Amino acid sequence: MPETPVAEVRSLCKEYRITGENALFSRTFSAVRDVSFQIFPGETFGIVGESGCGKSTVARLLMCLEKPTKGEVYFRGERVDDLPEGRRRFLRPRFQMVFQDSGSSLNPRKRVLDILGEPMAYHGIAKGRQAEKRAEELLSMVGLNPEMKNRYPHEFSGGQRQRVCIAKALSLNPDLIVLDEPVSALDVSVQAQILNLLRALQEQMNLTYLFIGHGLGAVHYVSHRIAVMYMGQVVEAGPSDALFDHPAHPYTRALLDAAPSADIAQRGRSRISLRGEMDDHPPRDACPLYHRCPYAQEKCLSYRAETKPLPGQSAHITCCDRAWEG
Amino acid sequence: MPALLSIRDLEISFRQGKRLMPAVSGVSFDVNAGEIVSLVGESGSGKSVTALSVLGLLSRQGKVQGGQILFDGKNLAALSETELDRIRGKEIAMIFQDIMYSLNPVFTIGSQLTEGMRRHLGVSGEEAWREGKRLLSRTGIRDAEQVMKKYPHMLSGGMRQRVMIAMALSCKPRLLIADEPTTALDVTIQYQIIQLLKSLRDEEGMAVLLITHDIGVVAEIADRVVVMYAGQCVEEADAETLLSRPAHPYTRALMRAVPGLHDDRSVLLYAIPGRVPEQYGLMTGCRFAPRCPWGENCPDKEKDRLISPAPGRLCRCPRALGGEDHA
Repeated sequence: MPETPVAEVRSLCKEYRITGENALFSRTFSAVRDVSFQIFPGETFGIVGESGCGKSTVARLLMCLEKPTKGEVYFRGERVDDLPEGRRRFLRPRFQMVFQDSGSSLNPRKRVLDILGEPMAYHGIAKGRQAEKRAEELLSMVGLNPEMKNRYPHEFSGGQRQRVCIAKALSLNPDLIVLDEPVSALDVSVQAQILNLLRALQEQMNLTYLFIGHGLGAVHYVSHRIAVMYMGQVVEAGPSDALFDHPAHPYTRALLDAAPSADIAQRGRSRISLRGEMDDHPPRDACPLYHRCPYAQEKCLSYRAETKPLPGQSAHITCCDRAWEG
Repeated sequence: MPALLSIRDLEISFRQGKRLMPAVSGVSFDVNAGEIVSLVGESGSGKSVTALSVLGLLSRQGKVQGGQILFDGKNLAALSETELDRIRGKEIAMIFQDIMYSLNPVFTIGSQLTEGMRRHLGVSGEEAWREGKRLLSRTGIRDAEQVMKKYPHMLSGGMRQRVMIAMALSCKPRLLIADEPTTALDVTIQYQIIQLLKSLRDEEGMAVLLITHDIGVVAEIADRVVVMYAGQCVEEADAETLLSRPAHPYTRALMRAVPGLHDDRSVLLYAIPGRVPEQYGLMTGCRFAPRCPWGENCPDKEKDRLISPAPGRLCRCPRALGGEDHA
């Protein structure tokens, strides 16, 4: 694709210092290790992984809410992570976010009209009567009755509140909307409504999404490309269908196998199972999955953490040697 | 053999100001020993209220107005608070949906986990501690000893959920009521919990009433499924039949709303329009009609009666059965 990506991260690393009970026990924790990807206009890029795998940290780094330890962040081809805070402020309306808990991400003391109108006034998009009109438009765009503009957040159901959050994210015409587990807290039927809404809005307005989730079905449904993260690394990435139908990395396969299937004929199917848990720290330089992988071999101990495309598939990449060999 | 838990024509109402609003209307189903029965439906369909009523845990506004909750032949709805206390946690244990508020923040995990055993089984503190550690490891927690000494806020959500499960199992209950036990968990941990529930059913003959809105979880472990909508049972069947040949339009809609891992992404997901009506207790006729794809033109929309087309199978939609039975 010759197009300039809306957002791009290159070799992103983030380390946190964990202070123990005394200085002897403090150590650094790598939340994100060498993550690179590009998000193109009009597409949805999905990130899946278990809690603690670093997917939300990647989103925070991408939006320049935190400074990476190493690596670069680009916005429309321009490097932004090294700008001073004052000059970085122009980015804020360009990136918008929708969170999992709609209840705590809306100010309970403000009416929806003010929740939607204030950012527009602040960023000089619309004011007064004009902002009100725009807020009404936004509400009907997300499938709410514009009459609801005078209500407070608690007067809505969970699904409706998530729609308000989406309207809020849309209000500044952002370049990228980061959706961090937007449907995980919702009922299945409401989940389907919100996922369809997100897709419809994307089609109408050519929106770009970064969709983070642990519900694999939902991520697959909305995303064009998906990255699978494990212990701060992207272990596999590729077009959604290729990734889910032909997963190459043992972790991706284990993750997909663990997901319950609504097809009862699949009950008792054979699956890959991983030993232990995510906090099993592998030896230095080894593959992050070394302790848990059923296919671990000696060469996995000296692992280079390079992601390379699978043979004959330039878009589908993974860091597992075994997968490249077929 | 009679069922371990048998709910008969259960009616529950909630006081709203001066009015009584029915929340559960005439629900009946059985849970046998060694069986996992799943109660499925959206939020607001009355499934959690049904489960809470079994242990007499309804809030003060809620009241069981009619019907029976027979556990081992005893009607729990008629028992006093003291008598219920002897059953709660020992014979019937519950895992709650809200993990944030289900553990006491000022006591250690160990003290909360062993409380039930010390109280109901009369074992020594030392023995209870050992058993507690064993239970924690069974739910997939390593360093059980360490976790026992921690306070709830020091654990992640997934860990807390597993502590809750260990706690529920501590007195070897005959019936476990699990309200959305895996909703907040990652798929790999969810898988472990599903396996654990299965082994408890198979090895110890425990009965499980599993409340969920996740059809995937149902497909993995349920033996029988009761689908609830707006305070009523709309369909009941063994899991195999229900999932491969769902009859009621609500069941079908619920199943179609779940995005599968290998679905064609270009096909739009079916979303049930609207949501569960709030004052469904006052509705007459078919309660699903306003959201049903057959909609207002359905000739049977005034009918509101459970029909049994085959033994062990119930459905509230005559139209759906008409179509299937003659096929």
